[in-house]
Amino acid sequence: MDVDRLRQDAAAVLADGRARMVIGFRDRAGDRVPAFITDAEQAGELLYDEACRQNLAAYLKKAELKRFRPVAIVARPAVMRSLVLLAAEAQVADEDVLVLGVSDDQEYHGILDLAATAALLNEKYAEMPHDPDLVKRIEEISAMTPEERSGFWTEQFARCTRCYACRAACPMCYCTQCIVEKNVPQWISTAAAGHGNYAWNIIRAFHLAGRCTECGACEAACPQGIPLMLLNVVLARDVEEEFGVKVGYDAEAEPVIGSWREDDNEDFIR
Amino acid sequence: MKLIDANKLTALAAALARAGYRVVAPVEDSGVVRLKEWAEGAAIRTGAVPVNSAKDFLFPPSEIIGRWDLDGDDFMPRDVQPDAPKTVLLAVRPCDAAALALLDTVFNWDYKDDFYNARRQAVTVVPMVCTAADEQCFCTSVGGAPDATAGADAMLRPADGGTRFILEPLTDKGNALLDAAGLALAEGEAAADPPVEIARRFDVEAVTEWLSRNFESDLWPALSLACLGCGACAYACPTCHCFDIQDEATRRESVRLKNWDSCGFGLFTLHAGGHNPRPDQTARWRNRVMHKFSYIPERFALVGCTGCGRCARVCGAGMSMSEVCRLIADETKKAPTHES
Repeated sequence: MDVDRLRQDAAAVLADGRARMVIGFRDRAGDRVPAFITDAEQAGELLYDEACRQNLAAYLKKAELKRFRPVAIVARPAVMRSLVLLAAEAQVADEDVLVLGVSDDQEYHGILDLAATAALLNEKYAEMPHDPDLVKRIEEISAMTPEERSGFWTEQFARCTRCYACRAACPMCYCTQCIVEKNVPQWISTAAAGHGNYAWNIIRAFHLAGRCTECGACEAACPQGIPLMLLNVVLARDVEEEFGVKVGYDAEAEPVIGSWREDDNEDFIR
Repeated sequence: MKLIDANKLTALAAALARAGYRVVAPVEDSGVVRLKEWAEGAAIRTGAVPVNSAKDFLFPPSEIIGRWDLDGDDFMPRDVQPDAPKTVLLAVRPCDAAALALLDTVFNWDYKDDFYNARRQAVTVVPMVCTAADEQCFCTSVGGAPDATAGADAMLRPADGGTRFILEPLTDKGNALLDAAGLALAEGEAAADPPVEIARRFDVEAVTEWLSRNFESDLWPALSLACLGCGACAYACPTCHCFDIQDEATRRESVRLKNWDSCGFGLFTLHAGGHNPRPDQTARWRNRVMHKFSYIPERFALVGCTGCGRCARVCGAGMSMSEVCRLIADETKKAPTHES
């Protein structure tokens, strides 16, 4: 990828005040870790390659970073979708964010505002194919009996330590009080075991149905290797099939989870 | 000396299991190498530092420490004993064993924790000398070493170019373990491989000294920018020992739980009245560094970090304790500014 252009653009938006901070990636002994650049002269630290997988849109929810808005965020297509969706959910305004766009195959898209980001997504990334291995595993799990499937997830969730790294990594997990923090009374079991683990992971997946842009950051952040994307992709697919909505392409779209229609085919909601 | 071929560790595990030990060892599970109870047929993976630490088997993520039967307005306490089977922690790391000095101290400091102590007494610790390290390893910066024996009952020493291990007993528990291993071990001679060299990255005493006078510093926001506030580092840490007590009940039964907790969470210090003395991630991360490198050294004359590097390996946001300590140590080397 043309990292020099990324660095030049980062320096330019800092120098002319279009952004007060650029959030991108830097190298640390071979690891790709976030870089928070506020001085145009430090833009040379930035780099980008296929190892840069963290969803940096998650930093928009961090209180200490709000004073650095507008921020420019280095974003691949799934991360761009997070940003458009955050705008649709009224979590960021157009003037808060710039995108330094990069494709999954290392093409640099330049400096984009949210409208240009949505236009680019619709033009070039309307279809984002899934990893074939993931699709195969989803098919295998879908073919299981309900008992087998429940057993599979019970085994996966048994490893959860309730560290909430999945929640921290996710830009859409911005609730100021998460359900696991509702402790007067405690809504779901706090024990890192059994039904509490099941409840936490399933509730989180359902709360992201129609909100997950499939960036994979939660699964990558899970120290226990729980395959969270198997849940997220199935739910995203269901939302697409049932509601005809693919999220993160339209900043004006009403959120699926926060809207209703008079012609809904379910009685209870009309 | 007692020897075992490098590819026969599972035979040692099997012999110890037959002798009545619960064997905990690094095994691959869902693509991740983790310390877990070894079962017949599982390969023991010594090549990677496991994602979890040995503390899981002394201080588990969730433990029931009280139980009551409920019947209308009546409640009847039931006896709860620690689940503390005789256990060997096999092929753990010197940085796991080094953590025991601190865990033993904090769980017996102002209150003697029967649950921890029962498990601790039932455990035989057998670390493996490290002959390889990765970018996150920094034991030598915090007083440890890849061949340190602190906290160990016996050491597994790679020998003859990694083809076998010398099993060297260090305590009575270690001797008992060697007896229990019986014919799984051979008598013979072997040359121990040199431990890996790990360069010191920072002067830990300089870090502690800087922390003692920099609770308020402009450096903290910069040091903590990347942190998104989960508990992955604390839960992977061999020395983090904070827990939360929760009561959970159904109509028939109530249990008292001792759950891991993390100072990375906002809820950790949230007061009932709504005030939070650590209102943001900057304050929470500062506490994490202060606790390990200032409060623990001050209170117990120990360092609260063994340099295992697990926190940095598991962090989804690229935070690194060794990098933060190095930046702090660098700060102490800067020429002092003379303010009038």
